[in-house]
Amino acid sequence: MMPDPSMSAWEPEIRPRQTVWQRLDHGARRLLPSLFIALIIIFFSAPLNIPGAAELLPALVIATVFFWSFWRPTGMSGVAVFLLGLFMDLVGFTPLGVSAFILLLVHGVAFYSRFGLMRLNFLLVWGVFALVAAAACLLQWGLACLFRLSMLDIAPALFEALLTIGVYPPLSALFSWILHRLDEKEDI
Amino acid sequence: MIPVSIQMRQALGKLVLPLLVLLSIGIIIGGQADRKLADKARMTVADGLAPLWGLMTAAQNRAQAISSSLREAGRMASENARLQKENDNLRRWYDVAVSLTRENDTLKTALHWIPEPTPAFVTGRVVADSGGIYARAVLLVAGTDSGVRVGNVALAANGLAGRVTETGARSARILLITDIASRLPVMLDASHATAIMGGDNTPLPRLMYYAQDTRPIEGERVVTSDQAGAFPAGLPIGTVHYLHPGQPVVVPFAQLDHLTMLRVFDFGQALIDPPEAPGHVPLAHPRQTLTLPLKTLLGQG
Repeated sequence: MMPDPSMSAWEPEIRPRQTVWQRLDHGARRLLPSLFIALIIIFFSAPLNIPGAAELLPALVIATVFFWSFWRPTGMSGVAVFLLGLFMDLVGFTPLGVSAFILLLVHGVAFYSRFGLMRLNFLLVWGVFALVAAAACLLQWGLACLFRLSMLDIAPALFEALLTIGVYPPLSALFSWILHRLDEKEDI
Repeated sequence: MIPVSIQMRQALGKLVLPLLVLLSIGIIIGGQADRKLADKARMTVADGLAPLWGLMTAAQNRAQAISSSLREAGRMASENARLQKENDNLRRWYDVAVSLTRENDTLKTALHWIPEPTPAFVTGRVVADSGGIYARAVLLVAGTDSGVRVGNVALAANGLAGRVTETGARSARILLITDIASRLPVMLDASHATAIMGGDNTPLPRLMYYAQDTRPIEGERVVTSDQAGAFPAGLPIGTVHYLHPGQPVVVPFAQLDHLTMLRVFDFGQALIDPPEAPGHVPLAHPRQTLTLPLKTLLGQG
């Protein structure tokens, strides 16, 4: 038998070769969170007159990135986070690269502290997330101040931080349910 | 895919995140340095997404239209129910009206009622009054050529407006009921008590000389009275309103501050001539010349 040059041959564990369908399935699972964020970005940047859309979009994106980087880093790789952040910057009116930078930092924190965080219960995780979200929003505000070279009003940043913290529990419930369903399918 | 060892892959994996952070910082600085390029990239992405946004906006508009039409349908259903109820009520009133008209006819027939003559009327356009001795008067484009006489009654769409005081060949001046020179005998509709309505150049003419035991009631209808023979009885004027306790005024039905058309009625009141009564000295009729009673007296003598 010829050595298989495809990627699966270089995976650490030995697995049977995947069929096309299985590969599509896996790919879809990996892309699911990124697709969700992309759709959210497109939805919220459309002129639909949703109240608080400008604050709700970063809140949803930060919460989603944190959750998936924490529980399933395979579904939310660094490259995906970077591309999504860049996309958000391009669609929105933030300076180019700022969202990508902040989202990468959130991803990094969640990714490297995941083994510590996993032992904690939900409320503590939420507390850590609150700190991360507040830091992210303040960082965004600080960068905006830096680029404008003037002090901007901090109230929107605080509102965004509160919104981010508040949006995490329902999103986390939704994603936990999705993860549960995906794992069930995996078992079959 | 380049075949690399597991250790190499793990090392590369650890390097990805810092590299991406550095790249994003680079993009931030680059975007700040070359704003035109950043704006161009933004516009390219926006152009690509424009159809998608258009689709979403259209969907939203459609959803809003559907929801609003649903709400409208609900409102219309309730309105329909209300109208049906009102229609039933009105049908009942129609029956009542028909039976009352029949009864009225029978009673009139039984009493050998002499029908009142149908008044002739002309309609003219109101033009603003530029002169004259009255403060509240209007000029009507209809005069003696059209049959308008001094003393005719001018009615607006839904109430009394005034009286013709002067006539020209093609115009007539109408003294409105709000003028300070206007004094009309009126009747309170509920109590049938008489009073005098006197204008005072304000929009609300005052009620005077009403009997102290039948005071005007707030909201009561005020109609003309035929006491002095100037007006036929029962023309609607307005409703009673108390500005202060003890100071009743009439809120006219006619919108006297912006009149556009007026109907001038000739009720033929001047033609009603009381038959001669021997031994009775008639009082001076307001619009009959003073010679007439003298003539009567002379005739008597």
